[in-house]
Amino acid sequence: MTAAIPLRVLREEPAPSRFARRLSGGDRPGELRAGTVRTLQVNVGKRCNQACRHCHVDASPLRTEVMADDVVDACLDVLARHPELTTLDITGGAPELHPRFREMVARAHALGRAVLVRHNLTVQFEPGQADLPEFFAAHGCEVVCSLPHYTAEATDRQRGRGVYEKSLAGLRRLNEVGYGRGDGLVLTLVANPVGAFLPPKQEDLERDTRAYLAEQHAIGFDRLITITNMPIARFEEWLRRAGLHDEYMDRLEAAYNPATVDGLMCRSLVSVDWTGHVHDCDFNQMLEMGLAHGLPQRVHGLDVRALAGREILTGDHCFGCTAGAGSSCGGAIA
Amino acid sequence: MTAYFDDKDLAHFGDLKQHNPELWAMFEKYYGAAFEPGLLTKREKVLIGFAVAQSSQCPYCIDSYTQQALEQGMTMKHLAEAMHAAASLKAGITLAHGLVAHNVDKKVSM
Repeated sequence: MTAAIPLRVLREEPAPSRFARRLSGGDRPGELRAGTVRTLQVNVGKRCNQACRHCHVDASPLRTEVMADDVVDACLDVLARHPELTTLDITGGAPELHPRFREMVARAHALGRAVLVRHNLTVQFEPGQADLPEFFAAHGCEVVCSLPHYTAEATDRQRGRGVYEKSLAGLRRLNEVGYGRGDGLVLTLVANPVGAFLPPKQEDLERDTRAYLAEQHAIGFDRLITITNMPIARFEEWLRRAGLHDEYMDRLEAAYNPATVDGLMCRSLVSVDWTGHVHDCDFNQMLEMGLAHGLPQRVHGLDVRALAGREILTGDHCFGCTAGAGSSCGGAIA
Repeated sequence: MTAYFDDKDLAHFGDLKQHNPELWAMFEKYYGAAFEPGLLTKREKVLIGFAVAQSSQCPYCIDSYTQQALEQGMTMKHLAEAMHAAASLKAGITLAHGLVAHNVDKKVSM
């Protein structure tokens, strides 16, 4: 005999996430909607010369996933057809290792778009990459560099032994070609906590980092942004192994700040993964969430205008972007 | 009671309010105001809190102020400097109290 399942249970909607309830401020799920899409973020693959402990992409030298030619072509086509896309944001992995990375940058620059490269600094010392600083400068790229902390101990603990010294060498090379001098070649540092806690106030850490790097290493940069560690992928695994996952999620939720919602990156960005699927942000991409049902899911032939005002898919990981002063690809929000 | 100084106790600090809500409210207001940034930054006040927690040997406060210090962008390198500053002052205080013995000895000894 089969046990009868009450129809009520079958028809029940899945329980709204904690984040969705926070968004509405009540028991009903709240809704997050995008504005006009201004940034095309392209993740060209998971291949990286580093294997950082917090990486939400699970990138490493062992990963082989890279964006195929047809997907690269489709991204460039979308960019060319939509002048409202003011910025191409290229990330990975280490995006510079993609065989068509330089072509993508050059073509976006030729279209008059701002190009932002998420750069890990140490990739400059991989074979064939020594001229990256000159290449970035020639195309006016904003270089957004990972440096979790201005001290060697903290940075190496997260990114691997020796990474700090190599990162400083990379920063010096960028300074040499004109980055970080306030002359228009923008060098941005990205700092994130080395552990299960929130980042410091962005302007405080920028001040301390600026003073330390200038005094100790004669290195300059334009701005520093803080990013909260996202409780997904490799960082989530670490949180669970350390028995800190629930505590960290509670901490993020307790620090939920509604003032961050208007500035969330997902409201003005779409994120393309290495297979050509489109997502609301890089984090949703790693969770393979896609866009909301009924929207186009592939970059091939994508009409970006159709994505303005779309419903953004959310989950409890979104607390990572709304905790405290907020966190986005552009740093703190509120 | 199974253990003293359980780290989960910290979340229940506020439970003490029920025994005297009026005085507790005054304490909360005072504590909150004292740690607001003023001429001293939040970071400086967190470091003071950490050093006091260390020298007063309060595990709850050491836990809390270590985490606050990390969230202020400091690392164990910073905290090690703070704890050595606090520890050396404690050593100095212990030695300075030797003056009492020194003076008593001078007073009563031939």
